[in-house]
Amino acid sequence: MNAMWSLWKAELLRTVRDRRFFTLTLGMPIIFYFVFMNQVGTHARISGTFWNAYFMVSMAAFGVVGSSVNTLAVRLATERKSGWVRFLRTTPLSSAGYTLAKILTQLSLSFFIIFVVFFVAQFSAHVTMPPMRWFEIFLWLWIGSIPFAALGVFIGMAGNAAQVLGTLVYLVLSMLGGLWTPIQALPRALQEVAQWMPTYRFAQPAWELLAERPISWVSVAILLGYAGIFSGLAAWIERKGDAHQQE
Amino acid sequence: MKDVTKQFGQKTAVRDVTMKIAKGSAVALLGPNGAGKTTSIAMMLGLIRPTRGVVTLFGGDPLASEQHAHIGVMLQGVSVPDRLTVVETIQLFRGFYKKPLAIDRLLTAAGLEEDARVMANRLSGGKMRRLQFALALAGNPEVLFLDEPTVGMDVTARRHFWDELRRFIASGKTLLLTTHDLQEADLVADRVIVMNKGRIIADAAPESIKMQFAGRQISFVAGVHLDLQKLTKLPDVIEIKTAGRQVTIRTNNSDGLLRTLIMEQWEISDIQVTGGGLEEAFMRLTTETEGTFV
Repeated sequence: MNAMWSLWKAELLRTVRDRRFFTLTLGMPIIFYFVFMNQVGTHARISGTFWNAYFMVSMAAFGVVGSSVNTLAVRLATERKSGWVRFLRTTPLSSAGYTLAKILTQLSLSFFIIFVVFFVAQFSAHVTMPPMRWFEIFLWLWIGSIPFAALGVFIGMAGNAAQVLGTLVYLVLSMLGGLWTPIQALPRALQEVAQWMPTYRFAQPAWELLAERPISWVSVAILLGYAGIFSGLAAWIERKGDAHQQE
Repeated sequence: MKDVTKQFGQKTAVRDVTMKIAKGSAVALLGPNGAGKTTSIAMMLGLIRPTRGVVTLFGGDPLASEQHAHIGVMLQGVSVPDRLTVVETIQLFRGFYKKPLAIDRLLTAAGLEEDARVMANRLSGGKMRRLQFALALAGNPEVLFLDEPTVGMDVTARRHFWDELRRFIASGKTLLLTTHDLQEADLVADRVIVMNKGRIIADAAPESIKMQFAGRQISFVAGVHLDLQKLTKLPDVIEIKTAGRQVTIRTNNSDGLLRTLIMEQWEISDIQVTGGGLEEAFMRLTTETEGTFV
């Protein structure tokens, strides 16, 4: 247990020093938020709520997906390549402890990203809603980020390709999932595609909460399905990799 | 390890190896690259499973992380994560163990006191190796597994490293290290296991291994009055062979012995020094030997 916390602490310390994390993963959603608020105007109506709140959710989701899919994948790929993971396996830190530490790190980072995006939106665009609503949306985005961590783990197994693949998946999923442009503004065909994107299913329940509608269980189910697929694939490759491991 | 074989696809890295490392012993696993040393260690640590045979660590399954509480490990080809300082990296490892050594003690052991605040992944190759030594010691282990520990270290660092290792052994703890350098093995080990092509080809005390592998040869034609018995009393002489008046001495210090022979005006002529250093003799042995001898 202590071993896990020790790793968690070190991981957070590494992130705090990671300039790339602050400029890209955290910076991009915030800059996008300012740009889109200026272009569209904060009080445009959309999907039963206001643009400033709607896009706040979009950007929080965008940031969380970036940190899980992109940052985590690249970091895992580097750790595997550098022999660090192998080295850790010789310590009393169990693989469960390692995985748990990574998940906790991701949850901590997601918490931080959502908090910052919400904070910026509240102060720059005066997003208002009852405290309970803030709490619910926050909680959903936070917990709902876990499937993307699993996707990050999966992409992290791609070795040298992880960096490119991670960035690509992160941007494409965000775009197709309607995190940049609301899907109502997308062509019909892309709207159909969006329905099946984990990113859309991640943000949609939060948008529903904004509009005071109940969470759609279809979204939760689809997201859970993706979580299963991603972690299943990762576990499968891990086992396969072990059998073929050289020296 | 009992009757252990490990295959990677078509290639057999370790072939029917049986060995037992007793508590409190200091064992060097010696052999050229590709002899199966690293693979053997990886199996003892539970990093890979043997294809056949049984490997136990403290009498248990090496794969179980609980078995790793009292070991310290240095592997080859590991680099530490970025954006952590030397101290933070060591602290991270200290956090993995119940009774870690004090941070100052670890920095001293690695000789990294002055680099404590340096980003760990920016260390030079030799210092990186020393940091990994500190990480291996972090949990105050009973057993150390060191895979080619001195690669990249300079002379001073090596000396410091061997001093630390001797202190470690002196406190009654167990050491297993791999090396391709017989001289290194001789520095700390009380037992040397020589591996080649996945097999154990020798297992003995370093002195007797040295007798068999080491040294250059000095050969000369002895004068008629030369007393061969006296030759054996000279320092650094390992073995003497004679063929008529042709004498061949095996030595681990050809320069010194040669100097003695000449300064003391021994009656010799046609002097020849042959054979490379330990390395060459050892290479010759490992490429030629097929059977097992002790």
